[in-house]
Amino acid sequence: MSQRHLLSVCDLRVEYKVGKDIVRAVDGASLDVPRGAIVGLVGESGCGKSTLARALTGIMPKSARISGGQLLFDGTDLLRLGHRQMNRHRWRDIAFVPQSAMNSLDPVYTIETQLAEILRQRGGLGRAETRERSAHLFELVGIEPRRLGDYPHQFSGGMRQRVAIAMALALEPKLVIADEPVTALDVIVQRQILDRLRFLQEELDMSVLLVTHDISVVAYVCDEIVVMYAGQVMEAGDARTVLTEPHHPYTMGLYNAFPDLQSSQGLLTPIEGQPPDLRRPPDGCRFAPRCPFVEDACRGGEVPLTPIDGGDHASACRRIGEAAVLRAKALESETWMP
Amino acid sequence: MDAVTDTPLADVPLVDVRGVRMHFPVPGQWWAAVRGRPTVVKAIDGVDITLRRGESVGLLGESGCGKTTMGRLLLKLIEPTEGEIRFDGQPLAELDRPSLKAFRQKAQLIFQNPFEALNPRFTVQQSIAEPLENAEVPVADRRALILRAMSRVRLPDPADLLGRYPHQLSGGQLQRVVMARALILGPSFIVADEPVSMLDVSVRAGILNVFREVRDGLGLTAVYISHDLALVRYVCARTIVMYLGAVVEDGPTEDIVREPLHPYSKALVAAVPVPHPDQSREALPIRGGAPDARNPPSGCRFRDRCPHAFDRCAAEVPKPTRMGDRTVFCHLFDG
Repeated sequence: MSQRHLLSVCDLRVEYKVGKDIVRAVDGASLDVPRGAIVGLVGESGCGKSTLARALTGIMPKSARISGGQLLFDGTDLLRLGHRQMNRHRWRDIAFVPQSAMNSLDPVYTIETQLAEILRQRGGLGRAETRERSAHLFELVGIEPRRLGDYPHQFSGGMRQRVAIAMALALEPKLVIADEPVTALDVIVQRQILDRLRFLQEELDMSVLLVTHDISVVAYVCDEIVVMYAGQVMEAGDARTVLTEPHHPYTMGLYNAFPDLQSSQGLLTPIEGQPPDLRRPPDGCRFAPRCPFVEDACRGGEVPLTPIDGGDHASACRRIGEAAVLRAKALESETWMP
Repeated sequence: MDAVTDTPLADVPLVDVRGVRMHFPVPGQWWAAVRGRPTVVKAIDGVDITLRRGESVGLLGESGCGKTTMGRLLLKLIEPTEGEIRFDGQPLAELDRPSLKAFRQKAQLIFQNPFEALNPRFTVQQSIAEPLENAEVPVADRRALILRAMSRVRLPDPADLLGRYPHQLSGGQLQRVVMARALILGPSFIVADEPVSMLDVSVRAGILNVFREVRDGLGLTAVYISHDLALVRYVCARTIVMYLGAVVEDGPTEDIVREPLHPYSKALVAAVPVPHPDQSREALPIRGGAPDARNPPSGCRFRDRCPHAFDRCAAEVPKPTRMGDRTVFCHLFDG
C-alpha cells in the first residue's frame, strides 16, 4: 500500500440486476486518490461514476452487487469489512455529500439535531462539545451559527448543500466523497461552494473525490482527473495534463463539446452516437463505436489503462502512441462528423 | 392567412414588452397579510423588452430571477398583472379566438426536460402530428410534413423512428422530437427554456447546432432562456441579464462577456467556470446570498449584494442608461 494514496480502487466491478439482465455499471475500474488532493471523477450519465462513489460508501441499492475488485482505504480493503466495521469508518473516516441535499436531510428535525446525532452517536462527543463543534462547523461552511436551530426547508438550495458539507465534515474525515455537489446550483453559489470546498480541503488536509459531469468544475477545483466511460476508466492523471494534453479520444471529444467562455471558439462538436448498452458491452474499447480514430485492433481484447512516460498520467487507448497527431485531428469538427 | 402575420411592417418589432409586472400570490396569503408580510412574489417587476424580427436573445439569470416567467408571459401562457405585450403589433391581451389560435401556431415553446415533454403513450409520429390535428391539416399531407420536420432537426432515419415510443429513444433524440413538434406548424417565434440542461455534454453540442441551423434556416425570432452564459453566448447575439424580476443589462452578448458593465453581470461572468486549468480563482465581486423575492431591497434590487452600492442605490430605482449598444440599469452609469 503506497503511502501517497489514501484510497486505491483496484479493478472494481459492480453489477445491477435489471429483470433477467445483468448491467455491468462499473466494469474493472481502477483509480487512486492521493492524500490531500481533490480528484475529479468525470463522465456522462450512466458511465458508472455515481455507482463507484456509492460502492465506496457501502450504501448500495438491493439490486446492486460488488462482484470483484478491492477498495483499499489507508491499507484496509473496505470490501472485506463486515457491516459493523464498515459502520465504524463511515462519517469518521469516509463521509459522503449527496447530490441532492434536499432529499438527504430529514425535514422533521432541525439541522442541529441532525448534526448532533452524528457528533454524539458516531463521534462520542458530549453535549457541550457537540454544541461548540456544531457552531464551528457552520462557521466553516459559511453559515451563521444562529441558524442551527432551523429546519431544512428554511434554507435555500445552496445553503442546504453547505449544510450537507458541514455534516460530512463533522468528524473530520480523511476522505470526502461528493456526488455532483454543485450540479443543481446557480453559478455564483456553485463557485462559492467550490471555493469553500477547496479551502476546507486545505484547512483540514483531507482528500476529496468529486464526482461530476462538468469538466469546467473539475478544471476549476481538482488536482487530478479520472475520466470514466461505460463503466471503465478511459484516462487519468494530473488535471492540467489531462485537460491540455488529453491522450484518449473520448476526453478530446468531451472537451470539444464543451462551451468555453474564455476562448473565441467556433462550432461546438458533438460526439455522435450513444454510450453502449452495458448489458451487452462491445468487445475491446468501449468507446470504439463512437470513436473517429477507431482501427480494427480497437475492437478486440481488453484495452488496459497504460501509463504515459512512466508518470501518473495514463490512458486506455490502443493508439496511445499517436496521441499528439490524434489531438490535432480532434480539433477539426470534420473529424467527428458521422 | 391570418391577422397576426399579415402586417408586413418590418419596422414593427415582433415582440414588444412594455412595463410588464407579474405578481404571484404567496401561499398562505391571508395569514401573511395579517402579519403584515408581503402577500405577493414579484416574479417580474417592471420589464421592457423589444425583440426585432429574426433576432436571437438570451434571457440570462439565476433561479428565481424571473426568466422562465418572462418566457411564459411572452407565449401568453399566463397573463401579466400589469403592462402590455404586443406580438407583431397586436396586444396579446386583446386577441380574439381566431387570432389567438393563429398566435399559438406562430409562437412555440421548446421544453427543458425532453423526458417529460412527450406523452409516453404516444409514438413519435403521434407526438409530432398533434399540432397538425389542432391546425386541421389534411391527413394526407401530414406524413410528409412530419418527415420534413424530423430531417430538419437532423433525426437520422426518420421513417424508422415514427413508430417508436419515448422510452425507446435517447435524450438527444427526444429533444429533437420535441423540437420537430415545435417547428411543424412553421412558427416565427420560438422560446426555448433551458433546452439542453437535462442532456449529456457530448449530446448538447448537437442540439445547440440544430437549434442554430433551424433558427437561421427559417429566420426565426428566438428567445433562449438559460442560467449558463457559455451556452447563451453560443446561441444568441444579444443577451438580457435579469436579477430578481428586473432587467439589469441588455446588449450584445460578446460585449457582456468581454466587459460586463452592471456589477451583477460582472459577478455572473466571473463565476462561470471554464474547462481550462488556467482561470481566475479570485473571490467574486458579490456579497451574501440571493435575497428573498417576496421582499426585494428598495431602489436597486442588487444593492445589498453590490460591492459598489452607495446612498442613491437605496433611494432610487435605476433608470435605463444607454452605453453604446448596451442598456444598463445602474446608478454607477446614470449619474
